[in-house]
Amino acid sequence: MTAFYTGTDHFAVLPALLLALFGCAVLLFEFVLPVGMASRRALAALTLAGEGFTAYSLYRQHSYLSSQGWPALTAFQGAVTIDGLALAFNWMFLAAAGLAALISYRYLETEGEHSGEYYGLLLFAQFGMFFLASGTDLIVQFTGLETMALSFYVLVGFLRGRRRSNEAALKYFVLGVLSSGLILYGFSVLYGISGSTKLSAVAGAVAGRGAGDPLIWLAVATLGAGLFFKIAAAPFHMWAPDAYDGGPTPVVAYLSVASKAAAFVLLLRLFLGPLAAAREAWQGLTVMVALASLAVGTIAALSQDNVKRLLAYSSIAHGGYVLLGLVAGNARGLQGIVVYLLTYVFMNTGAFLVLVLLRRGEAEGNHIDDLSGLMRRSPAAAVLMLLFLLSLGGLPPSSGFIAKYYIFLALVESGHYALAAVGAIFAAAGLYYYFRLVKTMFGGRELAGEPLAASMGTRVAMVSTAVVTLGLGLYPEPLLQLALLPVKP
Amino acid sequence: MIDTALFYVFALMTLGGGILCITRRNAVHAAIWLIASLMGVAGLFLLQRAEFLFAVQIVLYIGGIMVLFLFVIMLINLDTAAAERQYSGQWKLALGAVVLAGGEIAWVMARGLPGLGAAAAVQDGGEGGSDGNVERLADLLFSEYLLPFEIVSILLLAAIVGSVFLARRRTS
Amino acid sequence: MEGRLLSLILLTPLAGVLLLLLTPGGNRRLIKLMANLAGVAGFLVTIPLMMNFKAGTRGYQFTERLPWIPSLGVEYALGVDGISLLLVALTALAGALAILCSWGAVEERLKEFYALLLLQQAGMMGVFLATDFFLFYFCWELVLIPMYFIIGMWGGERRLYAAIKFVLYTVLGSVLMLLGILALYWQHFQQTGIYSFDIVKLMQVTLPPGTEHWIFWAFFIGFAIKVPMFPFHTWLPDAHVEAPTAGSVILAAVLLKMGTYGFVRFSLPLLPNASADRTVVRVIAVLSLIAILYGALVSLMQKDWKRLVAYSSVSHMGFCTLGIFALNHAGIAGSALQQVNHGISTSMLFLLVGIIYERRHTREIAQYGGLAHAMPGFAKVFAFAVFSSAGLPLLNGFIGEFTILQGVFAANRTWAAFAVMGVVLGAAYLLWLYQRTMLGAVTREENRGVADLTPREWLTFLPLMAWALWIGLYPKPFFDVLDAPVRAILERVAVR
Repeated sequence: MTAFYTGTDHFAVLPALLLALFGCAVLLFEFVLPVGMASRRALAALTLAGEGFTAYSLYRQHSYLSSQGWPALTAFQGAVTIDGLALAFNWMFLAAAGLAALISYRYLETEGEHSGEYYGLLLFAQFGMFFLASGTDLIVQFTGLETMALSFYVLVGFLRGRRRSNEAALKYFVLGVLSSGLILYGFSVLYGISGSTKLSAVAGAVAGRGAGDPLIWLAVATLGAGLFFKIAAAPFHMWAPDAYDGGPTPVVAYLSVASKAAAFVLLLRLFLGPLAAAREAWQGLTVMVALASLAVGTIAALSQDNVKRLLAYSSIAHGGYVLLGLVAGNARGLQGIVVYLLTYVFMNTGAFLVLVLLRRGEAEGNHIDDLSGLMRRSPAAAVLMLLFLLSLGGLPPSSGFIAKYYIFLALVESGHYALAAVGAIFAAAGLYYYFRLVKTMFGGRELAGEPLAASMGTRVAMVSTAVVTLGLGLYPEPLLQLALLPVKP
Repeated sequence: MIDTALFYVFALMTLGGGILCITRRNAVHAAIWLIASLMGVAGLFLLQRAEFLFAVQIVLYIGGIMVLFLFVIMLINLDTAAAERQYSGQWKLALGAVVLAGGEIAWVMARGLPGLGAAAAVQDGGEGGSDGNVERLADLLFSEYLLPFEIVSILLLAAIVGSVFLARRRTS
Repeated sequence: MEGRLLSLILLTPLAGVLLLLLTPGGNRRLIKLMANLAGVAGFLVTIPLMMNFKAGTRGYQFTERLPWIPSLGVEYALGVDGISLLLVALTALAGALAILCSWGAVEERLKEFYALLLLQQAGMMGVFLATDFFLFYFCWELVLIPMYFIIGMWGGERRLYAAIKFVLYTVLGSVLMLLGILALYWQHFQQTGIYSFDIVKLMQVTLPPGTEHWIFWAFFIGFAIKVPMFPFHTWLPDAHVEAPTAGSVILAAVLLKMGTYGFVRFSLPLLPNASADRTVVRVIAVLSLIAILYGALVSLMQKDWKRLVAYSSVSHMGFCTLGIFALNHAGIAGSALQQVNHGISTSMLFLLVGIIYERRHTREIAQYGGLAHAMPGFAKVFAFAVFSSAGLPLLNGFIGEFTILQGVFAANRTWAAFAVMGVVLGAAYLLWLYQRTMLGAVTREENRGVADLTPREWLTFLPLMAWALWIGLYPKPFFDVLDAPVRAILERVAVR
């Protein structure tokens, strides 16, 4: 008889446990507290408290592992593994969720959709992501994926009164379910060839068969297609612009960074885990998808007048860069992926944050003209947006430069010069659309209307994203240390 | 001997129910034929001594999902829909999918999967073979698959919260 | 103090930025004063550097070294040698003058304007002071953003188009250059097991010939766009014409030099075999000659005063690249000096265009004529600038161009012949410009009452004129300073 629920098990899943606990607590408290703005604010605070506790439990795992010299801590008979990769990504999710909670308050009040369910789902989504980062069992991973995806379907459609939000949610739902089905199909093939859901056992079976086996190809193709859907890589990207456009902006910020990172960590767990032995089977596919993402994302973004759609396409292109890190396939590539996604959390959330700020009264703040003359209206917002856009464009002194730098370095180290050159050219071309926004903000005609007012939470989020984006650009060492975690033994 | 006879009975039920389900013009009739088809599948499960799956099939599909189907069919207005052609333009795609799936099954049956036989062997004579199917399932669910089980509970909670939220009327 | 002199030079403009941000926004005069103070301070801190620099010493002086990103082997490493010393001096002077010349020209968003100019100056200083390739690249990119805003917010009619064109061209070049840097860095790691961006350490790498050529071309694109060399030059006229005077001055005096500096500092010593390759040299020499002649011919055709000066930059920078790839002492030293000369003379020309544009709001050459009657002082300075730019003896341009031609002649006589044609054409378009605008009778009534140079404007020209005369009359100190680094480069390149 195996031990039912050991201390190690508890220690390993405590962050997820806390997330679930606080998620339920938020749902319950909404009924207990009197109706009113103060209580709704309390719900946001409770969510942040939950993130705080989760951060503490993650920190305990972090310090434990670092004191032990970074062993992989397994729990639930190998279904969950806490290692550097899991921790690095969980920190990312924590940051993304915390920022999303901070900026949601004012936005939801403006939209008249402020309720506990929002925060509950926010936490449940993070709960699912936890198991994507640390799950090493096909069932755990799939249930985690679905928990995350399901929460996001609802969150994207959270503005029930808005048609575009409903439409976005529906599109996202239909394509999301399709991609989940593909992933599940791939999982069933992996289970079929190994007779086990544990990744360690699957690895043995895959290695025994080799990359040429048709079943491996089938698994790689279905898993690849499903996961590329989730990370919105071309040609599986078509849901992203609609979902980004229609969804509530804080949710989109959360979706674009955390959900993407979560799908990436699942991809890493599978492709660098059991499927590492079948590298030939997925290398070519990944290269093509990465290049297609760069091309589609960059070219389509050039002609967007809606800032959220523009950022959606830019996010597709960013996915392409991260995939190039996977293509490089060396330790530097893995580090590059972590660096990229981590900086992306802050710079992309920051950019959406400015859009949140522009959302007042009737003005939706999504059109490029809404940014017009922002420099005169609100210099601080304009300068911060500039910083985030420069970072997204990969120019120093922002952290986005370090991220691109790592990806290019990984490609150069692994001898992929041509890919690096293509990536570099797209990086330069991408600046065009970022600078289009810059141009509008600093050059455009000033819009009439009351000055922008930032809530406390928005202000905190803005300052922290900006400090991190600029700070890690000027002194990236802490970031690089964090990125070393996944490649520690 | 009786097993073989029963197998054919259930298989006929499954296939016949399925064909009738898609050929009936009346939606209620189609749904009832689908129930027959699902019952056939349940019978096949029982023949394989998969009592748990048999029970789940009856309770979930026939008891739960089909009743929902019938509710929906009766609630919405089907007069116009019934008058229209029942096949959508997607039959080519469907045919392709059927051929593909059929081919895959035929291929697997012809070649056999190396892992497949082993898995079957475990099922027949594995440890604790004397226990019933349901007990072993429960055992696994609370030991090896405890964690997924708990994750699913949160998944369902999120689903319920989400659907209730989306269905609820706007208060303001 | 002594040990941190270069940091002081680098950080003074940044301190100026802070000072400006703390200055209350309402008082325009105070902002201008503060900005000028910062500009002058930025120049003054370079004086101890000039005084204490030991000419003839090999290697970098005033070196500083601090770990920056240890996991990548990146260091905050500064140092100067003769080549960078001159460019640092030029940057400090041009930076201060760019601020001074904007006193009357810029009246909108003053604070931002001056802060960007100072930020830009810090970036340019970083480019010339860095001895760590990563730091160099960092500063190289940093320069871009302030210039985008200076052109895009305070520029002329088509400023936004010009600004984005400038950014896209340069970034495209620099990202490819970055790949070259990374390839070099990776080769160094493979051979030594150390991650380092230190220029001196990177020189120890022996590269396989194919790789070296690839890296060379990657660098080439980055540097050639910045210079700009012939097929990459199209961003320059737009950027120059649309930029406000301060922007044009900085662009011409310093930004273009970053490209030629890159060739001298990185391409030649780090990739000596590729740089000395016959095909490579021939390609670059031909491109330089095309730039010289094409730039001069297009200048002859120009109807717009500022555009003419802009195209003359293409021509003059062609001399610089040609000199570098003559790959001999005279060529490289002449080119290094000519970079400074071009900075001085073209700054003067742009300042003059700016002054006349402020008064008459047109840059069309046909609108002028006989200005010498109304503005005798202006005409004198303009004559000085024209002579300096055209390479008249006794002035700086002559020394530079002559030395370059000497080097080119030693390398290849045909090239020298074409280059001489460039000199002649240069004299032609500049003198013709002078004749059309300054001499003759006053053709338009509006030109009769144009005010002459104010004392403040005189102040901007005097240092430049003094420096031009100094180089023209007594260039020995400059060649002394350049001698050691040029020799070091030649030892690397003249391997075969």
